[in-house]
Amino acid sequence: MRVLYTAWTVKYKPKSLNEIVGNKEAIQSLVDWVESWENNVPKKRAVFLYGPPGIGKTVSVETLANDLGMEFVEKNASDYRTEDAINRFAGLASQYGSLFGGKRIILLDELDGLTGSSDRGGVRAITEVVKSAQCPIVLIANSAYDPRFSNLRVYCLLIEFKKPPAGEIAKLLKHICDREDVKADEEALRFIAQRSGGDVRSALNDLQTLAQGKSSLKYEDVSWLGYRDRQETIFNVLRLILYGKTCISAKQAVDMADVDIDMLFEWIYENVPAHLTDPHDLATAMDALSIADVYRGRIRAVQDWSLMRYVIDYMTAGVAMARQNTKVHGWIPFKFPGRIQMLSRSKADRAMQLNIGQKIRRRNHISAVRASKEILPYLKIIFKNNASMAAGIAKWLDLDAEMVEYLAESEKCSAEIAELLSQDEK
Amino acid sequence: MSFEMWAEKYRPKALSDIIDQKEIIERLKSFAKSRNVPHCIFAGPPGTGKTTAALCLTRDLYGDAYREHVMELNASDERGIDVVRETVKTFARIKSIGDIPFKIMILDEADNMTSDAQQALRRTMERYTETCRFILCANYSGKIIEPIQSRCAPFRFAYLPREEHDRYLRTIAEKEKVKLVDDGLDAVFDVCSGDLRRAINTLQAAASLNKPVDAKIVYSITGRASPADVQKMLTTAMEGDFSDARKQLRAMIQKYGVAGSDIIRQIHIELFKANIPEQWKIKLADAIGEIDFRLVEGADQEVQLSALLARLVEAGCEIAKPS
Repeated sequence: MRVLYTAWTVKYKPKSLNEIVGNKEAIQSLVDWVESWENNVPKKRAVFLYGPPGIGKTVSVETLANDLGMEFVEKNASDYRTEDAINRFAGLASQYGSLFGGKRIILLDELDGLTGSSDRGGVRAITEVVKSAQCPIVLIANSAYDPRFSNLRVYCLLIEFKKPPAGEIAKLLKHICDREDVKADEEALRFIAQRSGGDVRSALNDLQTLAQGKSSLKYEDVSWLGYRDRQETIFNVLRLILYGKTCISAKQAVDMADVDIDMLFEWIYENVPAHLTDPHDLATAMDALSIADVYRGRIRAVQDWSLMRYVIDYMTAGVAMARQNTKVHGWIPFKFPGRIQMLSRSKADRAMQLNIGQKIRRRNHISAVRASKEILPYLKIIFKNNASMAAGIAKWLDLDAEMVEYLAESEKCSAEIAELLSQDEK
Repeated sequence: MSFEMWAEKYRPKALSDIIDQKEIIERLKSFAKSRNVPHCIFAGPPGTGKTTAALCLTRDLYGDAYREHVMELNASDERGIDVVRETVKTFARIKSIGDIPFKIMILDEADNMTSDAQQALRRTMERYTETCRFILCANYSGKIIEPIQSRCAPFRFAYLPREEHDRYLRTIAEKEKVKLVDDGLDAVFDVCSGDLRRAINTLQAAASLNKPVDAKIVYSITGRASPADVQKMLTTAMEGDFSDARKQLRAMIQKYGVAGSDIIRQIHIELFKANIPEQWKIKLADAIGEIDFRLVEGADQEVQLSALLARLVEAGCEIAKPS
């Protein structure tokens, strides 16, 4: 059964100003400024909200409009490049009251998105609109101190949004876990919150990826997040690869990932099936991964690392280009690679297997690696079923008590074997 | 019953004890007789007697004190160039004391050596031919670089024929007082397909249950790549559930330690028994063969096999479509 999920960032989007995490002072100044329009047009006819991504700038404006019952008009970066759009919006900005008697607030989001020479005209046009605005205009960007905004800045009230403290984010995460019926360790939530570096949106995304559909969330479930960096989350990298439109963009995603190629391969390998569901697309994508993997084998064999470029081609562009029929709908969470989870769990296991392999090798003219794969399973059977044969072999291979215990898998069997071994010594 | 591993206990000690690979053994015997051995490559599938033949040859050459003149290195454990530069070279250049002027270096699983290490080995082989002869054992001689191949006498080991496989196992069973039922023997051959080391290990593990060794016991202990499990995985894939099929595959490989080559062999068998249109069988045989070849090239088992599963999901979907 396929479940379509909605993103928790949407589901738990604040509806009112008091639900927003952190930035109480900044929000208060914003409210004060908007309310000052009631008396007369203030000196600064626009506010410029700035601060790092994911901390609630946009949602503050949205909920403010909602709380104060204002008509909310939003424009984002792609809209106001054309002169037409700016004129239309200039018209809107020229009156405070809307057609239906309500009050209006205008938001120009993602100002950082204005780039290039054509947009320089855009910033100038916006500045003109702000100068003569008859209703509150809110501008949002990550940084207000970009030289492009130097002139515009003069006409705006600057309000800085700061990263909310991790404790408050953790509280929000707790609240959501309660609503989703997930029993979460406080430690786990604090870890997610801290890792997000104040980015509430990414903390929510992480939480959903880790906790959705589960009944509990423990510290072990989240500790692997330490593998990745905040700068460009692995999820964004995966999105660029699994939903890449061009070969170049899919390939470039590799540079953004801060995990090594093998780890990235595991992420892609784990997530391809859920994101490329059409059978033909899936087969093509898996074949691309298979070929990438063949190149990895060749690198190992000839130690020629320049072949790595073909591994990257196939695991990124090869997978991206496989998308022919799969429709994109709904939000599908990314999963942590299952094989890595199994591996880290069985790290001690593998060390033990190799140690036993070394013992077998001394006697059996076979490599320790191969012995641990080919012969060890047989030993397990013998050690579980036949204590006297096991004791004989343990002695012959010179296995220590821990190894015997590992092979016997149960206390009862290993005790029986140990008993026989000690009798033998007497 | 004895308490060591039977695969070692019943490993032949002299060339004359080896019952199969007759032509090869005759040539090796002549080497021993003339007390001269060239560099050799023993190539062939696992469990066909490569290492045994090498060890027997050295025993026949040097007698009981053979250990002083022979070094056995396993390239899977020590595959890097440093080993060739240090261990191998040190051994190779020191002259042997005794009637025979050279020592023997057995390099097991030599196809797992990096090509750098192989390049280094080539020089060593050339320089110290007087004092040391090399026997390289490998599953695939194609993975040994050409210059080394051209310096070696090639020997191709083949899987044991069924009769000899059976004779061998029956002898061991008799000596160990194990009751080996006919269908048990069939099952061992089915699972190990002539790999004698595996066959003997399988026999011993089955015997450890202290019951007559029959097919049921053999299948129950040899990993879980039982035909039934593979069949279930195939059906799951053909019915379109890739994630579940991959989960089953992962369990087979990681939990039960089944080799990818076994699984693909079983898939190949099941394919022709499957209830699908005949044209599709041959189409899919090609897909299976391609993946099998990639596995041989040293790729990751699970990745390769799940690529095959995805192909089966696609095929299952197309077969189901009304034409």
